Amino acid sequence: MKEVKQKKSKAQKSVPDKIFVVLNTLFMIAFVVITLYPVLNTLAISLNDGTDALRGGIYLLPRKFTMKNYNTVLQKNNLLTGAYITVLRTIFGTVTALFANAILAFIVSRKRFLFKRSLSLFWVITMYVNGGMIPIFLLYKNLGLTNSFWVYVIPGMVSAFNMLVIRTYMAGIPDSLEESAQLDGAGYMTIFLKIISPLCKPVYATVALFVAVGQWNSWFDAMLYNRMSPEFTTLQYELMKLLSSVTNQGSSAEAMKNAIGSVTPTSVRAAATILTMLPIICLYPFLQRYFVTGLTIGGVKE
Amino acid sequence: MASMAKRRRKENVAEPTPKITWKEIKRQKVLIFWSLIIVIYGIIFYYLPLGGWVMAFEDYKPKDGLFHSAFVGLANFKQLFSDVTFVRVIRNTLAMGVINLAATFIMAIVFAILLNEVQSKGGKKVVQTISYLPHFLSWIIVTGILHDALSGSGIINELLVGLHLIDEPINFFAHTKYFWPIVAFANVWKETGWNAIIYLAAITSIDPSLYEAASMDGAGRWAKIKHVTLPGIKPTIIILLLMNVGNVLNAGFEIQYLLGNGLVQSVSQTIDIYVLKWGISQGDYAIGTAAGIFKSFVSIVLIVIANQIAKRNGEERLF
Amino acid sequence: MKKKQMLAALMGVAMLSTLLAGCGGGDKEGSSEEGGVKEFTAFFAVPGTEINDDNEIQQKIAEITGAKCKETWLTGQTAEEAVGTMIAGGEYPDFIDGGDGMAQLYDAGALVALDDYIDDYPNIKEYLTDQEWDKLRQEDGHIYWINQFQNIYGEEKATTHNDEAFWIQTRVLEWAGYPEVKTMDQYFDLIEAYQEANPTMEDGTENIPYTILCEDWRYFCLENAPQFLDGYPNDGSVIVDPEELKVIDYNTTPTAVKYFQKLNEEYHKGIVDPESFTQTYDEYIAKLSTGRVLGMIDQWWNFAYNVNDSLKQQGLDEQGCDYVPLPITIEEGIQNKWHCSGSVLNEASGLAITTSCEDVEGALQFINDLLSQEVHDLRYWGVEGEDYEVDENGLFYKTEEQRLEASDTAYKASHLCTYSYFPQYAGTSRDGINAMQPQYQPTEFFDGLSDDVKKCFEAYGAETYVDMLGTSEAPGPWYPMYSYSNNMTTSTPGGMALTKMGEIKHEYLPKVVMAEDFDAAWDEYMEAYESCDPQAFLDEMQEELDRRMEEAAKYQ
Repeated sequence: MKEVKQKKSKAQKSVPDKIFVVLNTLFMIAFVVITLYPVLNTLAISLNDGTDALRGGIYLLPRKFTMKNYNTVLQKNNLLTGAYITVLRTIFGTVTALFANAILAFIVSRKRFLFKRSLSLFWVITMYVNGGMIPIFLLYKNLGLTNSFWVYVIPGMVSAFNMLVIRTYMAGIPDSLEESAQLDGAGYMTIFLKIISPLCKPVYATVALFVAVGQWNSWFDAMLYNRMSPEFTTLQYELMKLLSSVTNQGSSAEAMKNAIGSVTPTSVRAAATILTMLPIICLYPFLQRYFVTGLTIGGVKE
Repeated sequence: MASMAKRRRKENVAEPTPKITWKEIKRQKVLIFWSLIIVIYGIIFYYLPLGGWVMAFEDYKPKDGLFHSAFVGLANFKQLFSDVTFVRVIRNTLAMGVINLAATFIMAIVFAILLNEVQSKGGKKVVQTISYLPHFLSWIIVTGILHDALSGSGIINELLVGLHLIDEPINFFAHTKYFWPIVAFANVWKETGWNAIIYLAAITSIDPSLYEAASMDGAGRWAKIKHVTLPGIKPTIIILLLMNVGNVLNAGFEIQYLLGNGLVQSVSQTIDIYVLKWGISQGDYAIGTAAGIFKSFVSIVLIVIANQIAKRNGEERLF
Repeated sequence: MKKKQMLAALMGVAMLSTLLAGCGGGDKEGSSEEGGVKEFTAFFAVPGTEINDDNEIQQKIAEITGAKCKETWLTGQTAEEAVGTMIAGGEYPDFIDGGDGMAQLYDAGALVALDDYIDDYPNIKEYLTDQEWDKLRQEDGHIYWINQFQNIYGEEKATTHNDEAFWIQTRVLEWAGYPEVKTMDQYFDLIEAYQEANPTMEDGTENIPYTILCEDWRYFCLENAPQFLDGYPNDGSVIVDPEELKVIDYNTTPTAVKYFQKLNEEYHKGIVDPESFTQTYDEYIAKLSTGRVLGMIDQWWNFAYNVNDSLKQQGLDEQGCDYVPLPITIEEGIQNKWHCSGSVLNEASGLAITTSCEDVEGALQFINDLLSQEVHDLRYWGVEGEDYEVDENGLFYKTEEQRLEASDTAYKASHLCTYSYFPQYAGTSRDGINAMQPQYQPTEFFDGLSDDVKKCFEAYGAETYVDMLGTSEAPGPWYPMYSYSNNMTTSTPGGMALTKMGEIKHEYLPKVVMAEDFDAAWDEYMEAYESCDPQAFLDEMQEELDRRMEEAAKYQ
């Protein structure tokens, strides 16, 4: 914390400020410790022999090191197909959703737009109502979305939550920018693409992250709509199938015998979790610069 | 200077929407065109399936489908509300929803603001990267660790006994009074870093000149947080608060299911667990749908009230 | 301006076309032929393990039968949900076992009636007796599914007691000189005495004298002991009096009071694990795996598959931490029925063929072929020379290496294919020598036993787990009643009562055991219990019992 020499803090640091820095640092350290523990614990268990882990007492380091849990996960059938489809759906899903939510947010954040209240309400309601699994299933089936890739992309394209997050951010951008562009003869699409969007990078990054993580992690849609189409399986669905086969939910002798044996649910689950987290941990630093740099958007001035 | 951000927003809100005239429609035709596409999309994917709500008024049988099941009026709702257990699960759901909302909401904001105050860029990045990791742990893993930590020989009891705060270990999961706080703590633990992402993004939108001006005026850190950062992210806070108010009845399912046991089931069961137990597991979808309609109804009422309050106070609102 | 509008319009069209893109997706065929091999699909509404597409034994079976089947299992849904969406969509796989959703499938008319076909397929016909086939008839008089399990061919080969019992570690019995333990009081006295003499394990870990698993549906470890203590078999939800043919509620019998009072006393003596009522299944298994727990009630399959390996790996079998069952009843002189012989036909569910199947005869032929001895051996024993060996007397055995391989996850997925939810046999193979499945092969069983268990068996003059308990005659033709109560739904007063009773028992039984004042707690429990209207449930069970006896009378 020594090299704290920022251009804005020309003034001598006051005593309360110093106390603040110390307390804040302590808080962050405590926070990191408490937060990191479950993750490290999961990592340790994923690298530990499953049967041995049943004895408990594994905290930060594996006691009986093995890669068997990872092997169990990685030798799973269809994992490659699943990975391929998952990458595709994450890319397609994120791009389309970002575009759709951004343009919707742009529309409802135009002060002059005639139906901005009703359009917002129309979407806000969708957050709290739900037709239920069976009617939605029937709808998708009739639209031909079942047994197809597009069921991953199209139904979730617009989300009121993401739209509202972008809208709130857009509302903070001064109208003067739009007005001057309009005077220059720019249409709404130009204003959206050339003027507003570049200023919205941080919020776009946020929403892209939300959508991408959602796409990456979702498996229920794969199970529900593409159960009989293994060519559209996803990574997470394959992992879930593995997990539910090792998780001893079997309510009978047959189901228990049918379970995978020799590796335990806890350790396979841990390995699957770590594998799922990896790509997102890798992706995050690229998006992170949009949130962490902070205090850098100097362009927006009134 | 401190109120610049606020003033800017106030002006925005104040400008009235123009009257609907042909001229105005023509002017906005691009916007209207796009809204139409999006509305058609919304009707198909969100409003059309609501036809399924008729299920709640039927003695729904999968073989007869939505259109041929017997109509029973409000019988399903009557069954729900005449059951004392259902009334109790509403209480549990509401209580946990409100406690969770308050706890996770405040923690995320506090964390985002404090993280923003960390001066070392590297430190900031590391802390943030770590902070959102628990979001990716499934509830079954988190509850497993929590169960360990709170067990008779777990770290919490050892700590409490070691500090002589208690004489003998507490069996936390056997007492109804600990259940709600444990659930709230678990939610905070898992989601604080993740929820803070939105606020961190919002903080980037604050005009840095405001901080400079504040420094010039000799404002300390507390003063800057109070007069620049907080007002700067206030619209985001309010929007998220409004949205989440509608979600208090979605207090969850998994965590209560995984942490609950017979001894605490009177406080642990939520509407979703009730529906699973009494509806879905019995092949009775109508009960599940009826409970869903009830939840939607409460959510929308709450949202409208909250939105009106926000409107009256001249704050950001949902619609 | 014009250009931009064009652009906007184009993008709009693009968006709409994405919207409609999915509409091209055609429906998937149910069964298909590929290189002469018929490919069927199956869905089983239970969790299970998928095997690889290029599985070796599956391939071998396909060569013999000309057919294979792609199996999928339940994931993250309840059986009813999975079945419910299938019914809504009207698309099914060729084969289905809907588990708890079986009745829904029948109601929806999704299943093909099999009775007209059965006579044409000798192996299927042979699989059940006429009486058993009739038990599977639904209200409309047709047979829609075939129960797959616990069907004994020829002589029964019982080795493991795969069911519920009071279990105890061999070290406790050894310490006490292998005494006769016949009643619940003796059982707890023994545990108390051992605990007083040996409060810790060899490495200093404190023993847990007795633990009870209460998580969710697994709380049978707490609640259903009274039926066994009174010397009745596991009818699951009620006792059936075999003389009077009346159902009895085991929750309110004097034995139930005695049993819970005993647990209450032991709880206050510190014998019952204080974490009993809050532990999860994972924690329970972890506890047993450390060898700390002296005794408990459980079903063998609920703990042994996980715990035994772990104990062995840690060498805890040498300390006598393995579990053996004891023939316990409430007082001496009652014949225990923890273990009963004979097949159990759970008529509530089974393997069915759906209306989506385009080749019903082919599907039945496939089931028929799977029951032939050759294919059955492939399913359960594997490939001769690879998975098992045959000695000069024709007896199948596995080498240590083969045994290890068979438990390897990767090997299972790529090599073994048991078609485990298709009809299968236990008991003796058609060759009259071997067991239908390796786990029932006595030589295999003995080779796998730990020394402490062998020693214990010897002391009691037993050869198997089953001998520890003694085998009872198969219960009457009504058995098991749980096949009816498991399928009750809240749509009937009895089903409603059953669900409520379950709720109340989950909450009050732990309270009763922990209570300072047992009598008051019991009274409170009984009051809550009575308010669920258990009589409605018992009436429906009685009705079913009468119906079953009436059916059975046709065969006497």
